[in-house]
Amino acid sequence: MKKIGAVAVLIGLLIMACSKTEIEVIPDVMSGGTTTIFAEFSNAFQLPAPNLNADGLQEHRQADAAFEAIFVTAPAEINAGVGPLFNQNSCAACHSKNGRAAFPEIAGDLGGLLFRVSLPGQGMHGEPLAIPGFGTQLQTKATFGKEAEAKVQITYETLEGAFADGEKYALRRPIYNIQQSYLPFPGNALFSPRIAPPVFGLGLLENINEADILKNADEYDRNNDGISGRPNYVWDIQANKKTLGRFGWKANQPNLHQQTAAAYSDDMGVTSPLFPTDPAKGQLQEDSFADDPEISDALVALTAFYTQSLGVPAPRRQEYADIKSGKLLFKNMGCTKCHSPQFTTDLNLDLPFLSNQKIQPYTDLLLHDMGEGLADNRPDFEADGREWRTPPLWGIGLTQVVSGHSNFLHDGRARNLQEAILWHDGEAKSAKESFKKLSKKEREQILYFLSSL
Amino acid sequence: MKKLILFSFITFSLLFTACKDDEVIVATDYSALLTNVVNNVIIKTYKDLDDKTAVLVTNLTTLENSPTEANLEAARQAWRDARLPWEQSEGFLFGPVDQQGIDPSIDSWPVNVADLDAVLASNNTLTKTYIDGLEGTLKGFHTIEYLLFGTSGKKPVTDFNTRQFEYLRACAQSLKGSTKQLYDAWQPGGANFGKTVMEAGENGNNVYLSQKSALQELADGIITITDEVGNGKINDPLVQKDVTLEESRFSANSKADFSDNIKSVRNIYIGGLDNASTGESLSDIVKAKDAALDTKIKTQIEAAINAILNIPGTFTTAITQNPSAVQAAQSEVRDLQQIFEGELKLLLENL
Repeated sequence: MKKIGAVAVLIGLLIMACSKTEIEVIPDVMSGGTTTIFAEFSNAFQLPAPNLNADGLQEHRQADAAFEAIFVTAPAEINAGVGPLFNQNSCAACHSKNGRAAFPEIAGDLGGLLFRVSLPGQGMHGEPLAIPGFGTQLQTKATFGKEAEAKVQITYETLEGAFADGEKYALRRPIYNIQQSYLPFPGNALFSPRIAPPVFGLGLLENINEADILKNADEYDRNNDGISGRPNYVWDIQANKKTLGRFGWKANQPNLHQQTAAAYSDDMGVTSPLFPTDPAKGQLQEDSFADDPEISDALVALTAFYTQSLGVPAPRRQEYADIKSGKLLFKNMGCTKCHSPQFTTDLNLDLPFLSNQKIQPYTDLLLHDMGEGLADNRPDFEADGREWRTPPLWGIGLTQVVSGHSNFLHDGRARNLQEAILWHDGEAKSAKESFKKLSKKEREQILYFLSSL
Repeated sequence: MKKLILFSFITFSLLFTACKDDEVIVATDYSALLTNVVNNVIIKTYKDLDDKTAVLVTNLTTLENSPTEANLEAARQAWRDARLPWEQSEGFLFGPVDQQGIDPSIDSWPVNVADLDAVLASNNTLTKTYIDGLEGTLKGFHTIEYLLFGTSGKKPVTDFNTRQFEYLRACAQSLKGSTKQLYDAWQPGGANFGKTVMEAGENGNNVYLSQKSALQELADGIITITDEVGNGKINDPLVQKDVTLEESRFSANSKADFSDNIKSVRNIYIGGLDNASTGESLSDIVKAKDAALDTKIKTQIEAAINAILNIPGTFTTAITQNPSAVQAAQSEVRDLQQIFEGELKLLLENL
């Protein structure tokens, strides 16, 4: 049956080839199944999934407004409740055009970069231990008259290396110094930089069957390939139990609802029923308003819906020879062992547009040891200090047109895709070393392929 | 699977042979179009915004030095005059305005009134540099509007205090910094994002890999603002009967804002300001393929602009006193959006 379909498509292609009609798309580029959109301009991450029905589209529009809404200091006639401590005052301030934030190049302005902090040890559910007076996240801004928890100064160290063909490269390692903290910052505190990632396609990732994710897990590397994907198990507040972590740079959030509520609370200082306690509670900066929770659970759900109902941009130019070669090299080097190209999502009767979609996110949603160079040395539930969750690669080639930069990795330190590859270590060491041994032409083919996603 | 690959190979070979004898399809060059739109619409609009903001700085400085009713009205007019090119730039909110984080400094909404009151009550010296360091919700057009017009829209000059005059002047100076940054980012000699758009599809352009993607950028810009005017800016205050959701209510400038947004659409579509095309545009592409569609789009743009301007009174009063006129305007804007989302998008996809 599938073959007949393919034959029909090919015959269709043949018939249309000489007319000016757009050539039918081949299934391979439907990276988000029927949520796929075709765009190569700055709104590529902002388009609604084309398979939403009229009600879904209407809800998506409202959700878009919620995502853009800027919060202000209470009391206010509208959007009250930012802070008193915060990182940014709207979702879109970090996830501009729904894309990834740039590495902060301007001194004093962290933009979409934030720092998780904790003391060594674990809380009752395995979560990182809050630092008294700071909590588990540094809020680097405050409303007028309040004091930000700290500022972060960034300096750099250059790491030089060379490809097998002799070409040299230099990586830039950021060194973070916490300064001007409003209370002495504990010397034994752990901290982890995190950049705001793109927010499209998340509903599809949420809708992957847990068993399909666990199928790729190989904690003790029984297949001896050097790769040991591990699931994170994190605290699901509503379910009141530990569940599989999927979202965040260390997979420390179980679902989009909790992820969204946590972002409102920790990043914006906006409380909701799931996180009713203001991050400044008990600190000197606490405000005097008895207004928590500041937003409803329905608003949190609406904002989460926005991230579920966006379209996934299709890869481009997949028929180009260099891109085809790059795709093959990417697989042969072992990259797809973690950046798993394919999943089929579960049935979902509530959100049918996410149901049973064959998708190509290029992530296994598992934790991997990425080596000392990238280590934050701050465990997060079951993720250790060297592990990071494989980030999806879909849409990665649109970063320049959407966000105006090409900064990658958990803190945006890589200045381009090649640097991102070269930072890989730990379980990805052999793939990285293979990359370094390739010819210049082959390295470019891999970069072309990644840029085509 | 192997069979399929073999079959595709044969089919594609056939396909190439099939085309050989036919006419060679030469891709149309759109660089003249992109150059016209960048130079004569986008950069001119940003230049006008920067010039008009300079007048706003001057007039607010005059008001600070000599607080009279006449100087207050001149400052308010300068705000409206600067607001016009900003609203006429909202049909192309891509590039530096977003990627350099300039938009929040110019157009954050709502105003953080609680913090603004606290800043005014403080002893902090109100300079441009000080305002530059504040959040977007404490500066830009809407903060200036709030202070300059007051919640009634008719705040008399005698109700202002010295701190407010200082804040207004410093805020306008900060805004001027942002409008200059934006203009510089596009013009030759600056960071020159304009060049990036004009040279779409050329070797080494890592932003717009094809001219088609730059054309779609332009089209998506006008689709997005049409959607926002119809389904956000007009819709939210109308449906919820809530004036606090209205964009420029203190200055009673919302009708001008919305119609200037649609004029921004027209500027991009016809490739020129003030309803006068200065060269190639999206309209020419459409006209060549479907002249009736081009006429339909132009007619609908005018219908939307006129319906907004024909709303009686202010937008604030109209949503309760003349909701049918507001609905009529919304409906014209939505019709325009439908044409864009359907026919225009499809036509460009098939270029």
